[in-house]
Amino acid sequence: MKTALFLTFLFSLISTLTLGQIPTPNNGVKKSEASAYVLRNAKIIVGPDQIIKKGSLVVQEGKIKAVGRQVKFPNGAIIIDMEGRTIVPSFIESYSSIGLPKAESKQWSPRPQMESSKAGAYYWNEAIHPEVQAAQHFEIDKKGAELLQKMGFGVAVTHINDGIARGSGAIVALGVLDHSEAVLKSNGGAFFSFHKGVSKQSYPSSQMGAIALLRQLFHDAQYYADNKDSNPENLSLNALNEQLKHPLVFAVDDKLEVFRANKIGEEFNLDFIILGGGNEFEQIEQFKDWKNPMILPMNFPSAYDVNDPYVALQIPLGDLKEWELAPSNPYLLKKNNVTFALTSKGHNKAEDFWKHFHKMLENGLSREDALAALTTIPAEIFNISDQAGTLEEGKIASFSVFDKDPFEVKNAVMEESWSLGKKHILKEKADIDIRGKYRFSLPETSYVIDIKGTPEQPTGEVITYKTMIDSTTNPVKKTIDTIKVKAGIKVDFRDAVFHFDVDDDNYKGVLTLHGNFSPKIDAFLGQGQTPDGIWIKWAGVQLSRYKKKEDELSKHAIKVDTSSIGKVWFPNMAYGFDSLPKKQHYILRNATLWTNEKEGIIKEGTVILKDGKIEFVGTGNYSIPHDAIEIDCKGMHITTGIIDEHSHIAISKGVNESGQAVTAEVSIEDVVRNDDINIYRQLSGGVTTSQLLHGSANPIGGRSAIIKLKWGYSPDQMLIPDSPKFIKFALGENVKQSNWGDYQTIRFPQTRMGVEQVFYDAFIRAEEYKKRWNEFTQLSPKQAERKNIKAPAVDLELEAVWEIKNGERFISCHSYVQSEINMLMKVADSMGFTVNTFTHILEGYKLADKMAKHGAGGSTFSDWWAYKMEVKDAIPYNANLMQEQGVVVAINSDDAEMGRRLNQEAAKSIKYGGMSEEDAWKMVTLNPAKLMHLDDRLGSLKKGKDADIVIWTSNPLSIEARVSKTFVDGELLYDESKSVDHYLRIQQEKARIISKMLASNKAGEAKKPFIKKKEKHWHCDTIGDSID
Amino acid sequence: MKTLNILSAFILTFCVGFIAFTQDRVLLSKAKVHIGNGKVINQGYVGIQGEEIILVENALTYNLDKSKWDTIIDLKGQELYPGFFAPNSNIGLTEVDAVRATRDFREIGTYNPHVRSLIAFNAESEISTTVKTNGVLYAQVTPQGGVISGSSSIMKLEAWNWEDAAVKTDDGIHLHWPSTTKGGGWWAEPSTRKSNENYSNQLKDLREFFEAALAYSKANDKFDARFEAMREVFTGEKRLYIHANQLRALLDIIDFKRELKINYPVIVGGYDAYKVADQLKDAEIPIIIKGGHTLPENEDDPVDLPYRLPALLQNAGVLYCIQNSGRMETMNTRNIPFLAGTAMAYGLTEEEAISAVTLNTAKILGVDKFTGSIEVGKKATLFVSTGNALDMRTNNLTLGMIHGKFISLTNLQTDLYHKYKEKYEAE
Repeated sequence: MKTALFLTFLFSLISTLTLGQIPTPNNGVKKSEASAYVLRNAKIIVGPDQIIKKGSLVVQEGKIKAVGRQVKFPNGAIIIDMEGRTIVPSFIESYSSIGLPKAESKQWSPRPQMESSKAGAYYWNEAIHPEVQAAQHFEIDKKGAELLQKMGFGVAVTHINDGIARGSGAIVALGVLDHSEAVLKSNGGAFFSFHKGVSKQSYPSSQMGAIALLRQLFHDAQYYADNKDSNPENLSLNALNEQLKHPLVFAVDDKLEVFRANKIGEEFNLDFIILGGGNEFEQIEQFKDWKNPMILPMNFPSAYDVNDPYVALQIPLGDLKEWELAPSNPYLLKKNNVTFALTSKGHNKAEDFWKHFHKMLENGLSREDALAALTTIPAEIFNISDQAGTLEEGKIASFSVFDKDPFEVKNAVMEESWSLGKKHILKEKADIDIRGKYRFSLPETSYVIDIKGTPEQPTGEVITYKTMIDSTTNPVKKTIDTIKVKAGIKVDFRDAVFHFDVDDDNYKGVLTLHGNFSPKIDAFLGQGQTPDGIWIKWAGVQLSRYKKKEDELSKHAIKVDTSSIGKVWFPNMAYGFDSLPKKQHYILRNATLWTNEKEGIIKEGTVILKDGKIEFVGTGNYSIPHDAIEIDCKGMHITTGIIDEHSHIAISKGVNESGQAVTAEVSIEDVVRNDDINIYRQLSGGVTTSQLLHGSANPIGGRSAIIKLKWGYSPDQMLIPDSPKFIKFALGENVKQSNWGDYQTIRFPQTRMGVEQVFYDAFIRAEEYKKRWNEFTQLSPKQAERKNIKAPAVDLELEAVWEIKNGERFISCHSYVQSEINMLMKVADSMGFTVNTFTHILEGYKLADKMAKHGAGGSTFSDWWAYKMEVKDAIPYNANLMQEQGVVVAINSDDAEMGRRLNQEAAKSIKYGGMSEEDAWKMVTLNPAKLMHLDDRLGSLKKGKDADIVIWTSNPLSIEARVSKTFVDGELLYDESKSVDHYLRIQQEKARIISKMLASNKAGEAKKPFIKKKEKHWHCDTIGDSID
Repeated sequence: MKTLNILSAFILTFCVGFIAFTQDRVLLSKAKVHIGNGKVINQGYVGIQGEEIILVENALTYNLDKSKWDTIIDLKGQELYPGFFAPNSNIGLTEVDAVRATRDFREIGTYNPHVRSLIAFNAESEISTTVKTNGVLYAQVTPQGGVISGSSSIMKLEAWNWEDAAVKTDDGIHLHWPSTTKGGGWWAEPSTRKSNENYSNQLKDLREFFEAALAYSKANDKFDARFEAMREVFTGEKRLYIHANQLRALLDIIDFKRELKINYPVIVGGYDAYKVADQLKDAEIPIIIKGGHTLPENEDDPVDLPYRLPALLQNAGVLYCIQNSGRMETMNTRNIPFLAGTAMAYGLTEEEAISAVTLNTAKILGVDKFTGSIEVGKKATLFVSTGNALDMRTNNLTLGMIHGKFISLTNLQTDLYHKYKEKYEAE
């Protein structure tokens, strides 16, 4: 009976110990473990809102059993005195690939890979693999875990860092654990990016391609979910649809990509948690109403090596400002009420992480916010708040032990990291501190030794004496010489070994002393060996204690200072504004006005700009708006802003999606970049509006972005609201890949003959597609349900092609030789659409009459030719000949350099063919406005049109013309008279930051050699960008 | 109008048989004459016999004996210029950029002083016909690539063959100074650039090559093709064109000139030259600057720096001229007049801008003794425009002449223009 009772008791005890664990066979007798730990007398940071100045933490079965100032110690617990120590909850790493294999890259081939090469029922694109599950591949990685633990992390969300739809992550505990216990949660969110990773499939080759692919993917997932029965099984879409219920993490590289990812999320009602680029502060205005939590990196840029002034002078101000302000990124976002987690991504050394951590605190982020961003917020994001994030009772016993509070001082050292109740010693502590001044007594003599350094690595200095005898004198003269020698000291648990060179009255050679240290009386007792090899006994008695330097604490204290930091400019680079210019009213008097209207050129006229619009143009009576700024333009000329029909400035990561012959699904609007210096440079050339076209790598390219050159504003603010929709088409050498090398002979089409068929195919497919949709939309929901007809799949590519046919989207077609131009017009006539604009159109003069008949406009170069075979017959008289046949003609740049002197290019129409000055001027203003269907708001000086105005120093077509001022929407965005001020302001700001950087170099902080980012100048035929 | 009519009739006759014609004495009468040296004659007489200019006078003061002239062309109201130069050009060495078979300006190898552009020059280049018609009449035809790309020659753009075209054979060696930054990618997709930590080593290699070539030049009993081509760099008969842009490189070139006793170094590029203009002036190193139709190198630079560079050097007293190398350079050679014009908008006077593409260039290339300006005794290489030739609107040639020979003012492009204009007019 007794035995039975005892056994029952024992059994119940075992069952509580292993509660929640699946029985696992054990080889041998079960491992012996302490039943509980009590960590007492510690400063315990329970969570962001609670600190216990001196308390105890009870750890049992891998969990926190109790925490508080006074808690009950369980029986049989190991009690550890943590006097002076600070215990911090383990941080949670949101973005890691610890314990997972690297995605393997297939062998590189110069030939394009058009289709997926993967076996199995997966999605058609290899960069989309949501089916990959981290938990299936996870292995314990001790080295990787230790690095993260040294940074304070105890839990990590890990995923295979590859592809656009990457798969699901696993939430794992770090440390030397068993596989069975390490994975806390297998469904730790789904991961996405804009990088295609190791996929060698040609599509997507650009960021806009990656964006379009994701949008199509989410449409496909929806369609697949709704039509599961009637579709073949797709493992990728199965996985994706399951994932969409979990946290969705989207990793990007840059502030602008944050908005690009978020836009996709908004469209599909997905709450992306975006891992930012670290420079979000540069767009801080756009974070005002940010909804979802973010993840922010802390790998702030290191300083450049600026010791060589020749090198320093080449560093762009934008890079300098980013270096200065990046550590403020978390603080500035917090100030704008953005919730975020922090990640250690990009840190290979724990000390770098802690440096950045302290820098971030010194730049204003509060300790509560920093801690929350590393613990409770990631726990909430990944739905593990019940398990991790704080040291509250019941949560996992994962925490770090520091010798000081790392939120208060920079020299706090992490001594231990506990993970699921298991202790990992990260920094070996010396068990004894022997520092101080001692007298070592040996049988014949004694030495005074001064021990300094650290307890782990003490250093010593010994004073030895030698009697010098001068026998030349009488009596013999004796002097005692004092010699200081260094002692080597090694501390080994409770013992210490000393050895030092002696040359005195007793010994000559190395003296080695081994002693046992008694901390209670601060004394040594031990044996030693003299230089002659004789063993002796010795003892050491402390004479005085080691004194810590007083200022040490204050030296390492974290001092918050946000005052010495420069301001964010808009954009945050050279020529950026301190604050955005305000819309003001202007009255511009006494100028020659090029109206582009029936009034023609008006001498000594006045233009009034009010509320971003043109209020008055001409001579005679007008009312002056209140507070109008008056500018006397005597001798000057005023025109409307130049419109560039064909530009590739201000675009991120790829102007061509060249992965397929038809890419109508991609859009430049998705990748507009507002920090391209060429925006400002174009303003200095009088350009105010540009059509940013997709390149010419494929017959049907992507959609355009039509922007105002609103320097300082966000990409969205630059887009003209409700602008007409455009798409790029292309013909000739680029689309048949003639000049791309001998390997690019796989993609259809390779001849002009094939190009025609691509167009027919696309439009016929679009018609069929629309037919399906029309059949569906004609039904009422009830009818659809009764007949069991479901919505057809959405095809973003064909949507855009259909818009063309339906007259809702206009074509701008890259074209050179007459045969293909004629062909496209025939395709258009037979398929029932119009080619709005032929761009380049260098042989337009050969069939201008046909173009006029078809209703196509021409946007051409003034005088480019001879750069490839298909432009051999290009002539600079082209604009005139087309115009004479009634074609609306514009002159464009396709080039950031030429774009800023389009006035000169327009003037060439006068030289080559004798165009009138007024008509020549319209080639770069009113005519492109007409081609872009914006002539109701742009292109002439007319009351009510947008106040996009340029003041020129003389006739704008003259070689002597310079831009004096450029207004966009009534805001003065370029002013030549301010150029000296600008120059000085840039130089001062550079000098200020470089002197800071120099100080950082001198202080021995991390530095890197200067790398100059080359500006990207896109043209039509620019292929690809690094999106791998 | 009358003048023009006479003139076109004249050109037609001339085109038929100009060989015999050139021996006659031709007087260009009453045009505004831009001498090229900064001076201008509002109404001048320019007389030509054979290849040479034999008379330059002010029409208002000169007592003209009409009987001495076989042909007098009335150019009243028009403007007369010395032929413009295209230094550091690859015209005649390439026809269609994208077609490899037509590209003859870049040999492989690092040190190629023995490679000569001269013999690859296509005297019938179609591009060249469109360049002459804008007033650019000479080119320094220059090989590219490597550290030393080879020897350039100065060619007139109207000739039967390259021998006939050459006005100065192998005028100089082109050296591409190591860059203080490295990296590059290609033009459309430049990679990041970083400090070139090998700069000093590359400089040492370069010096070694020059020291060896200098030593060789003092001996006469050996033959080495490369060093042989270098020989005249040390005697001063050949110029050394050093392509460099960055501040540090420019300063190092000043030392290089002094230490290796280079007689005639010329900097080609010189983006940062305005920062060290005084030193370059003292060292007597002229500069062939990249024309203004380029973007600033650095995003922090003043937006109009390339436009303003000529005026900055002019004011500093440095001898410079304008070239147009870079993207689309061959066909854009015809826009050299407008590079000078843009420099005028940004600080040069009109005559200074003209000098920057005429006499200054001739001086820098070492051909100013016989060409580069409208002066008696010089070759008659000139053109006449209905208005300011530096302005697109008014650069309109009515007459062009290279070494006394009238040039055709039509080309493939004007032919196509007229062909299609007539087609439409007929309809």
